[in-house]
Amino acid sequence: MIYFTLISAFLVLVFFIQEFIPVLEWAYHSRMLLVHAAFFCAAVTVPYPLMLALAFFTGFVWEARYHLPIYSAEGYTGSPQPELPFGFTIFLFGLLGSFIQGVRPVFRRGRWELPVFMIGVCTLVGIVIEYLVISFHRGGFIWTAELWFMILMTSLFSMLAAPFILLLFSKLAKWTGYKIRMEGITKKYSFYGNTF
Amino acid sequence: MSRINIAFLVAFVGALVWIFLLSPNSLDRIQRGALSTFRPTIEASTELEEAIENFGDQKYTKTDLRKMLTDAELQRDKLQLEVLKLDELLEENNALRSALNYVKNAPLKLVPAQVIARKPSTWYNTLIIDKGALDKIETDSPVIVPVGDYAGLVGKVSEVRNDNTAVIILLTDEMCQVSARIEGTADQGIIAGQRGSLKIQPNLSLPLEFAPELKDAFQAQPDLLLKYLPKIAASTKDRNIISSGAGDLFPENLLLGKVIDFKLGAIDAEAIVKPAVDFSKLKNVFVVLPEKSKEELEKEGKQESSSDSEVPQVSNSSVETTQVSSRE
Repeated sequence: MIYFTLISAFLVLVFFIQEFIPVLEWAYHSRMLLVHAAFFCAAVTVPYPLMLALAFFTGFVWEARYHLPIYSAEGYTGSPQPELPFGFTIFLFGLLGSFIQGVRPVFRRGRWELPVFMIGVCTLVGIVIEYLVISFHRGGFIWTAELWFMILMTSLFSMLAAPFILLLFSKLAKWTGYKIRMEGITKKYSFYGNTF
Repeated sequence: MSRINIAFLVAFVGALVWIFLLSPNSLDRIQRGALSTFRPTIEASTELEEAIENFGDQKYTKTDLRKMLTDAELQRDKLQLEVLKLDELLEENNALRSALNYVKNAPLKLVPAQVIARKPSTWYNTLIIDKGALDKIETDSPVIVPVGDYAGLVGKVSEVRNDNTAVIILLTDEMCQVSARIEGTADQGIIAGQRGSLKIQPNLSLPLEFAPELKDAFQAQPDLLLKYLPKIAASTKDRNIISSGAGDLFPENLLLGKVIDFKLGAIDAEAIVKPAVDFSKLKNVFVVLPEKSKEELEKEGKQESSSDSEVPQVSNSSVETTQVSSRE
């Protein structure tokens, strides 16, 4: 419980840090989505129910801060509905968090490669889903090299932050006595033997 | 799946449905609260960004600053005199217009604002400014900056978040569409950003001599596209694109960009336009206030409707009296 409280507090802190992360012009205006990376890292370290709670909390704060009610042209004719409804990020975090729970056993064995890669993939999938929904509302799909660069680099930068966040979470877990890894299995599956 | 997992999943879905069903007023309150919480951080991050951008710039001495202040005051006095002269000209112009039964021109009511956050969204080209409902800023108010001798269009107010915060959607966004024409011609169209080029083109000089076929892939999409032009307009390259004023949302003659190329379609032409405003360096902008606020317009609308509703009553009564009189 202490560990869960601490990572929740860390996620709040990450929202404030996110404000200081600039958009990188030289990288096709991509940015590091630190909140996404932190959530996916947290999702891989906690059980499913707690992941859902974190998905709701993180998604809600993200929407409260970043959601823009931009209406598609058709929206004006009937009852106006924003292209991305408020709460869509909560849904995405819940969905992608469930996917990332799939690599939790690997993480618990002490292997970080696949979870880190999956954090990048989940960030990418989340951004692409948002783009698809926007495109659906606007009635046509446009794919350009520039767009792909932006999506890929955003995912890559978020993925690069993942090992550092996972390291921090491991330290927090050790400090609070929360068992992330299954020590018994570690020896059996570790590439380096009993180095864990 | 264990029972506790299913219970949490059901609770999660229920909470999600509840969020989706929240009323716009509740969402507005939530977002206002969040923005108020994050506002100091947003401002601090902008200050930090500016400090990093200006790092190593020449520091001014007190004497330099005093001289700059004197120059600025002189400039202000000169501009004030010019504005007085322009007001006289406007009055004269309006007098002539009324003589010809034309619609009168009105000076733009501007509210200066400072940009406090750039591109806060992944998918929308937006800015956040430090002015809001307190300064009578309304949704869809145009936002401009001076560009040479012109007023350049930045975008429009997408949302007034609270008393001192508003979100601006930039001209480079697909959702900010402006009725425009080619300066010096009557060719009109609709200008907007392109979804494929959601962001401003990065200033890259990639050494791709070894693979020239990749150059197109690295070439960013043009920022603005002026659609629905007549084919005959294709001979007007390097012309300025200005707002046409059609639709009454944007005042006319705001500079939007310059034509750099044309694409001919089956029945019409499209102009590729380089924006006039450098969106990456915006610090101060001006919001154009409407001549009449929405409240005033609503009041006028109500008065008109009430006067309209009175007219048939009068006519009915007059009909009734005539009927009565005829019976008599």
